[in-house]
Amino acid sequence: MSQVNAREYWTDMNRAEQGVATFMAVTIGGLLVAMLAGGLDPTYFLFLFGLGGMFALMSLGLNAQWGFTGLINFSVAAFFGLGAYGAALMTATNSPVAGGFDPIFGLVLGLVLAAVFAVAIGIPTLRLRADYLAIATLGLAEVIRTVILNERDLTAGSQGLRGIPGFFENWPVLSTFPEAMPGLRIEIIPGQPVVLELSFWEQLLNVSLLLVFLGVSFFVLRRAHRSPWGRVLRTIRSDEDLAKTLGKNTYWYKMQAFVLGSLVMALAGGFFAHLNLFVDPSNLDPITTFYVWVAVMLGGAGSNRGALFGGFVVVAIREGPRFINELPPAPVRNVLEGIVNVIPSVTVEIPSIVLDAGPLRLLLIGLTIILVMRYRPQGVLPPQRELIWPDAIEEDEKARPEMGVREAKTGEIDD
Amino acid sequence: MTESTDETVDQPTTAAETGSKPEAQSETDQRGATLSKSNVVLRVDDLQKSFGALAATDHATFEVERGTITGMIGPNGAGKSTLFNLISGYYDPDGGTVSLNDGEITGEEPYNIAERGLIRTFQTPRKLEGMTVREAMMIGPQNQPGESFRKLFTSPGEVGDSERQNLADVERILEEFEIDHLARQPATDISGGQMKLVELARAMLAEPDILLLDEPVAGVNPTLANKLAEQIRRLNDEGTTFLLIEHDMDFIMNLADPIIVLNQGSVLTEGTPDEVRSDDRVADAYLGGGSV
Repeated sequence: MSQVNAREYWTDMNRAEQGVATFMAVTIGGLLVAMLAGGLDPTYFLFLFGLGGMFALMSLGLNAQWGFTGLINFSVAAFFGLGAYGAALMTATNSPVAGGFDPIFGLVLGLVLAAVFAVAIGIPTLRLRADYLAIATLGLAEVIRTVILNERDLTAGSQGLRGIPGFFENWPVLSTFPEAMPGLRIEIIPGQPVVLELSFWEQLLNVSLLLVFLGVSFFVLRRAHRSPWGRVLRTIRSDEDLAKTLGKNTYWYKMQAFVLGSLVMALAGGFFAHLNLFVDPSNLDPITTFYVWVAVMLGGAGSNRGALFGGFVVVAIREGPRFINELPPAPVRNVLEGIVNVIPSVTVEIPSIVLDAGPLRLLLIGLTIILVMRYRPQGVLPPQRELIWPDAIEEDEKARPEMGVREAKTGEIDD
Repeated sequence: MTESTDETVDQPTTAAETGSKPEAQSETDQRGATLSKSNVVLRVDDLQKSFGALAATDHATFEVERGTITGMIGPNGAGKSTLFNLISGYYDPDGGTVSLNDGEITGEEPYNIAERGLIRTFQTPRKLEGMTVREAMMIGPQNQPGESFRKLFTSPGEVGDSERQNLADVERILEEFEIDHLARQPATDISGGQMKLVELARAMLAEPDILLLDEPVAGVNPTLANKLAEQIRRLNDEGTTFLLIEHDMDFIMNLADPIIVLNQGSVLTEGTPDEVRSDDRVADAYLGGGSV
């Protein structure tokens, strides 16, 4: 498609893509409206977006391992934690190791730790069947968490690491960007002002960092997925013996995929440390691994776009119940009250019911898994059926990758 | 075909060595090492493999000469597939050696053996999920630049060129196999017979010196089986050596020469199809009497 044509783009999408696009548009639109109307704190909105992106990053990592290659990794939280602790140990004020370094060193340490552990666990297990890696990673996650919890001299134990600076602390321009930005007060609905202040600009900077991490990871993984390298991984996932028979050193490919995925997870951890400014061993709880698995299953194993989508949906499920701790949700009530109260001399207070919706999270996650497995086992955005290096195929095939492929099975779409 | 070696003298002798074909035996001996070097693609020497008390491969010794279509037959449980697994590196032998183009490959990893020119197929065709036929074929060529993660980013042009070339090769070979109409079909949605053709075609993309086919026409309808035979002959004419296991006697007797007969893990005899047909021991092994 040489011209961007919204209508053509829309009709080119299949139903799943249209559904996802609609869902995203409604969700983002709803949040923006709530934010502009003063019902949702913009800084918190950015924080939620940051969390979504962080889970999307971890999902991309797991997708490279499980989706591309079929490697079962139950250590997602551990690799995330290694990234976070790597960043924190180098930068936190109470770091027992070497606090106060530039965040870039922390990021590097986190990535190195993740790579070292990935190789260490990969060497004995990647020559074996996938189940062994699954068992080993299950153990690794617990070992790393327990070590971090108990090795107080090294990690500050359960106190966690505090005083982690923002990622751009020492950067020119960017370090002073939040202070340099003016405080803004937008009042669309009277009495419900939107205030953009220092914390907002700081969070905006965090989100920009996340977008860079996401963008780079997505670009690298997308290119890798549709390359001959990715094809070897997909062959290994389907049938490792066949890959070996055709001269592929499957052990080496599995190692590359495992390390690559773990690095992306550690990247998410590094980002988290500078987003949250505090890390503790609870960040390595196995529930994180569980959420990321759900995200990849929901998005569609092997699909990079699916992993992105799944990451955000999982955060919506995780954080969503906060908004319904009272009904109608506070942002909606605020907006409604604001609108009604525009009329002079009228003050209405909309009554609300207070709930404890927190436990709904796990219920919703369970429901999501059941619905996906029942109605869409391939995931919402499964990878397309044919992935050939784009330069090698004709222009017309590139523009319409579904030709001769999509109709064979419904819902097969791009990666 | 079979060659007595010093190592095998003290081993329990196979039927082939005990003189089922004395003329052929002495001829091989006289030709000497230099000739056999250039002519023998695969040499299996006194290979042994046991699973518990069962000797699945029992001092098997044979050679496959370059340019032949060598058949391998034997009753169920004779150890044919075990032998293939030993040769192609999926099992480690308990003893004996396997040599490919005069280099020893015993105990090497399957991918190493494949890189050195020996490609095999499996009894049950392997399905590649989430790929079209042409994409599943593109895994065939060896040492593709795009299989290096680094080159995807440092030399995308080289990767693109090689992908284009491979895609063209795939399309050409699919045409030669007369299955080009399947190119964009999901690789999991084609028939078992078509899958066997795809496997053979894909194996050819790896440009092997020798191709081991494990029951290429099992469960394949006669029309497709003929097509497969035709393709194997054509590829053989173009220089590929084949070693194939098959239970379909008509198929293998018409296609292969020589034929090696395995029984209880060792080579019972080998010779031309006629020689094998008329060998009573072969009939005994299969049926306990009668003719093959």
